[in-house]
Amino acid sequence: MAAGAGADEEELEPLFDYSRVQPTMAFSFDDTDIEKSDIFVPCNNKRRKVADGDTNADEKGDKGEQKAAAGAKAATVVDLGEEDWLPPPPPPKAKSNVTDELEQSSVLKELRLQKQALAKFAESADDFLEKLAQTARQKVEARIPTEHIDLDKSPEQQEAREKVVVTVQDKAGQHQFRLYKGEKFGKLFRAYAKKVNLSLADLTFVFDGDKVDPENTPEDLGLEDEDMVEVLRKTL
Amino acid sequence: MSGGIARGRLAEERKAWRKNHPHGFVAKPETMADGTVNLMIWHCTIPGKQGTDWEGGYFPLTLHFSEDYPSKPPKCKFPQGFFHPNVYPSGTVCLSILNEDSGWRPAITVKQILVGIQDLLDQPNPADPAQTDGYHLFIQDPAEYKRRVRLQAKQYPPIV
Repeated sequence: MAAGAGADEEELEPLFDYSRVQPTMAFSFDDTDIEKSDIFVPCNNKRRKVADGDTNADEKGDKGEQKAAAGAKAATVVDLGEEDWLPPPPPPKAKSNVTDELEQSSVLKELRLQKQALAKFAESADDFLEKLAQTARQKVEARIPTEHIDLDKSPEQQEAREKVVVTVQDKAGQHQFRLYKGEKFGKLFRAYAKKVNLSLADLTFVFDGDKVDPENTPEDLGLEDEDMVEVLRKTL
Repeated sequence: MSGGIARGRLAEERKAWRKNHPHGFVAKPETMADGTVNLMIWHCTIPGKQGTDWEGGYFPLTLHFSEDYPSKPPKCKFPQGFFHPNVYPSGTVCLSILNEDSGWRPAITVKQILVGIQDLLDQPNPADPAQTDGYHLFIQDPAEYKRRVRLQAKQYPPIV
């Protein structure tokens, strides 16, 4: 109905320059899908005939999209009617088309940036989840060994498999790592360096004021669960 | 049995410290030649605060706890002759929170003591001088005072 009324007023329409009004609307994104859909196939064909290379097509798509909300079929009819009106477009239209294109491309750019930002966000969310999973695992595993003690043949073997959580503190904050008590610190150091994106050569790890040798193990230093190891960054 | 209280508290302090402490600080009980740990004496390191003339220095501090701890505060000592208006020639730190008769409370932790002393480094208290050298320069010759502080920071480089 709304679209029908629009058709009646169509005679007056050319006075109203849509391109002036619409560019700021964010409808231009993803309308390609809609254009490909069945609803818009006829009007797309027509457009291509009438306005060859006229980028106005997208704009029409927007209009169509809007009207599609009211009534899809009616919208296509209206579009066709407009098409007849528009072929000799008013001179300023060409200009506005260019700005349209520019604005659309800037909108696209913005969208792309947003997409990247979202991707990064998703990545950091993944990291966070991974961390959560890790701490959850730590908690679970912290419990399991106590249950396993009876099952293992010798307590020594048990000890070798036991894990400790090591908190690594730098100026910016803390990271937690989990390693076997008999495992060399080198592995932890490499993991940390990778995490903070720094060269191992620039980092010194210190426990209780003493430098930690990468060949040492938590057992060697008598490290307990959640003990803190500090990282100093070598300055020049 | 008061010694039991002191040792129990110190064991707790140590445990808490191992799990978490401010960056650059060290605090560990003395280890004897035979490998046993003496909880009553702690060897600590206080880093000079960033952005001050003390930056870059890692100052050694020894905490001497008595059997009356935590009713009484530990005695905190820098090396003899440490340059600071509120450090006695013997190295003992003069600070209100370390004074049994004024600011000490049994609830004050080792961490708070060390951070308090770090604060004192760059904010001496001219109302309570403990050595003439540091005090006079601080009052009369700020430029020379600054130079001496920076020099001293260089004398205590990081262990690594």
